[in-house]
Amino acid sequence: MTTLLVPDTAVSAEQPVAKKRRGGIGATVVMTLVALLWISPLVLLVITAVRPLADFISHGPLSWPGTFTLDNFTDAWNIGNFATTYRNSLILLILKVPLGVFVSAMLAYALAKLRIRFGAAIMYTVFLGLTIPIYITIVPVFVMARSAGVTDSLIGLIGPYLAFGIPFEVLVLQSFIRQIPDEIIEAARIDGAGAWRIFLTVVLPLSAPALVTVFILDAVATWNEFLFALILLNSDAHKTIPVGLLNFQGQFSNNNTGLAAGILIAVVPILVAYTFLQRWIVGGLTAGASKG
Amino acid sequence: MGVPARRKTRHGGLVAWAFALPALLVYFAFLVYPALSSLWFSFTDWDGLSAGYNVVGLGNYADMAADPVVRQAAVNNLIWAVVTVVVPVVAGLALAVVLNGTVRGKPFLRLIFYTPAVLPLVSVASIWGWLYNPQYGAINAALRAVGLDSLAQPWLGQDSTALGATMVAAIWLRVGFPMLLYLAALQSISPDLYEAATVDGAGKWQQFWHITMPGLRPAHYVVIALSVIDSFKVFDLIYAMTYGGPGTATQVMGTWMYFNVFQYNQAGYGTAIAVVITVVAIAVSIPYVRSQTKEHAV
Repeated sequence: MTTLLVPDTAVSAEQPVAKKRRGGIGATVVMTLVALLWISPLVLLVITAVRPLADFISHGPLSWPGTFTLDNFTDAWNIGNFATTYRNSLILLILKVPLGVFVSAMLAYALAKLRIRFGAAIMYTVFLGLTIPIYITIVPVFVMARSAGVTDSLIGLIGPYLAFGIPFEVLVLQSFIRQIPDEIIEAARIDGAGAWRIFLTVVLPLSAPALVTVFILDAVATWNEFLFALILLNSDAHKTIPVGLLNFQGQFSNNNTGLAAGILIAVVPILVAYTFLQRWIVGGLTAGASKG
Repeated sequence: MGVPARRKTRHGGLVAWAFALPALLVYFAFLVYPALSSLWFSFTDWDGLSAGYNVVGLGNYADMAADPVVRQAAVNNLIWAVVTVVVPVVAGLALAVVLNGTVRGKPFLRLIFYTPAVLPLVSVASIWGWLYNPQYGAINAALRAVGLDSLAQPWLGQDSTALGATMVAAIWLRVGFPMLLYLAALQSISPDLYEAATVDGAGKWQQFWHITMPGLRPAHYVVIALSVIDSFKVFDLIYAMTYGGPGTATQVMGTWMYFNVFQYNQAGYGTAIAVVITVVAIAVSIPYVRSQTKEHAV
């Protein structure tokens, strides 16, 4: 799995140094300007969130704030019900992600190392799940949740979330597990370890990089999921961040600074996590997709 | 235990199935079964609430052919697919090539271009809805600031610009993904090739067409396949940004399906819409799925 983690340094090291400097400055300036433009919506969001509404209205969205305040955040936090939606999203994350990664790793192990019968057919069926839009399943999922009595409950989301996470997780994990040398597994077997112990003590530890990557990507996807949460959760007490944000957006449509603060409250955790974990995210996306 | 030579040639039997079963059960119960179940509902007139329904055969599909909103949604899906695949793929390729060259601060730039992709789509919709605000939005403010007052307009509020405005938001968040994949793929092209080409007097542009592009062929395939698959799933962004409006100007199949099921109580008709777009999505992506399976199959 050479593509799992791409080192930043492996970039055209062969070019002559003098040429590198000369070409570097022009490209760097242009790219920096484009990057500034790209990030400007988020920068504007921050600037707007820390100024009073009156200041925003009298000076316009592109001006520098005359005064600064954090009141927008407290207003947004209270009115937007964020304490509840944060809690719900976190609960869902904790219940769903470890379980999803674990069962995916088990299936990946069966496909990669246990010579499961019909392995190719299973893989084909599971990978096909990558292409299925969520909305083809929402009516039956809604019916199933209603008959199980788990509408308007976080529990009702776990099954569908697991199912839609499995294809990508299995795709990445099985290609990683496949790289584990058979000799290592064979040695453990000769030592008397059964399939289950080999999985727990050999395969999982050796797959740690892929597991971390898949875990993070699955956490991001779970945190951001909208459609299932929209149809299954009704009461404010059970809403997740994306659905809560949508409600909030409706209520705050005339309060630009409050809206900016609310959007930031919703996205800051994911931005912080992404900044610190981007190495894993980038590696995982590349690994899952670069096998043409 | 203790018969490794035999295991090598034989199937894993029950043990393998024990490992595969939990994930497969969940996958079939919550993805495969609901998808097939939708296919059944699409042949009925079920309203989504009552206990009973009638089987109407292909009635819903015939109704779709006569529904002007379905036609509009299909056209919008097609426009959406073309624009939000082509623009991010081309821009992502350009970014990757530049970032792979002599530019400084590459990790930081890469971080910025991929940032929008990790945000919840609802928040992307909120951010752009806020930028597009006719009165207080930054986009109209910027136009007025440079004297283009006549171009300031309610971007999301009029038929002529609404779909384009949603696609701009989609492009903003989708450039990062192809960029990352191309960056990774570029590193598998040997620098010796460029060196040899430089010695032979080939310019940068020639090197791009004769070394970079052929070297990226496997990456092109994966990037385009995944982008197309993604484009068929469009729902969140449109729903949260325009709610399909103004009128039906930005309806896509996903949102029109949702409105039929949950607003108009036409679950049978709604699922028929979902079936059509899913069949198209699967048909388009089968070569990709097949290649992934072949790649890994023992």
